[in-house]
Amino acid sequence: MDEVFRALADPTRRGLLDRLRERDGQTLKELESELPMTRFGVMKHLKVLEEANLVTTRRRGREKLHFLNPVPIRLIHDRWVSKYAEPWAAALSELKQDLEEEE
Amino acid sequence: MERYLVVDGAGAMSVFEIYIKTTPERLWEAITDPEMRAKYSFGVRTDSDWGEGSQYRSGVPGVIEIAEGENVEVDPPRRLVQTMTALWSDDVKAVGTSRVSWEIEPVGTSCRLTVTHDQLPADANSEVYGGWPMILSGLKTLLETGETLDTPGSLRYAGATG
Repeated sequence: MDEVFRALADPTRRGLLDRLRERDGQTLKELESELPMTRFGVMKHLKVLEEANLVTTRRRGREKLHFLNPVPIRLIHDRWVSKYAEPWAAALSELKQDLEEEE
Repeated sequence: MERYLVVDGAGAMSVFEIYIKTTPERLWEAITDPEMRAKYSFGVRTDSDWGEGSQYRSGVPGVIEIAEGENVEVDPPRRLVQTMTALWSDDVKAVGTSRVSWEIEPVGTSCRLTVTHDQLPADANSEVYGGWPMILSGLKTLLETGETLDTPGSLRYAGATG
């Protein structure tokens, strides 16, 4: 989990995750095209994201595609966010459910 | 490690990976046992005889139908490939049939579980594949602690009867 927090503690890496969330399965070339950064810089950031299991790769022919793996973020949510926000979030979630059932 | 190939024409694809401290056999059981499956799937059970080419159905009997499909490849405790047609709303029904592949790889004293959801239309409603992180987080909690998640939403249909 330390690796996930470390990976998320950088705006460029969070930006890369956002770009994969918008369109999954991008190549390095696609990811670097809109960043004011060298290919080497982007590769270093992707490596940190891969080590934290936030990004996973698949080969398609000669290309390496990068996919967002949202599961570690969910684990942080279930371990940390829900614990602190739960009383309110649970109440809101139940309220939403009740309202939907009344429709 | 060389990961498997993304086949051209596989449609849109999402990949979900998680490490769970368990054995491949226990993980396989948690995926294929209807009662265990319900504990981390919003209370939704999945029933099948798990033969290759057999059908499965997911839902809360008498309350809601969630999904149905075919078990295309069944190789316990390593690999399960299924077709999936989501059934819980008209919006998700419109997505049609996609494919879900479960792969279990032992890594030290843990397993890496990869769920690949592909053969999706490019504009597929994200509800169809968006539930996997919550399901896999609940699966990890169940196998590592014996407990069920009680975060909002995770118990959506728990205790529901028809």
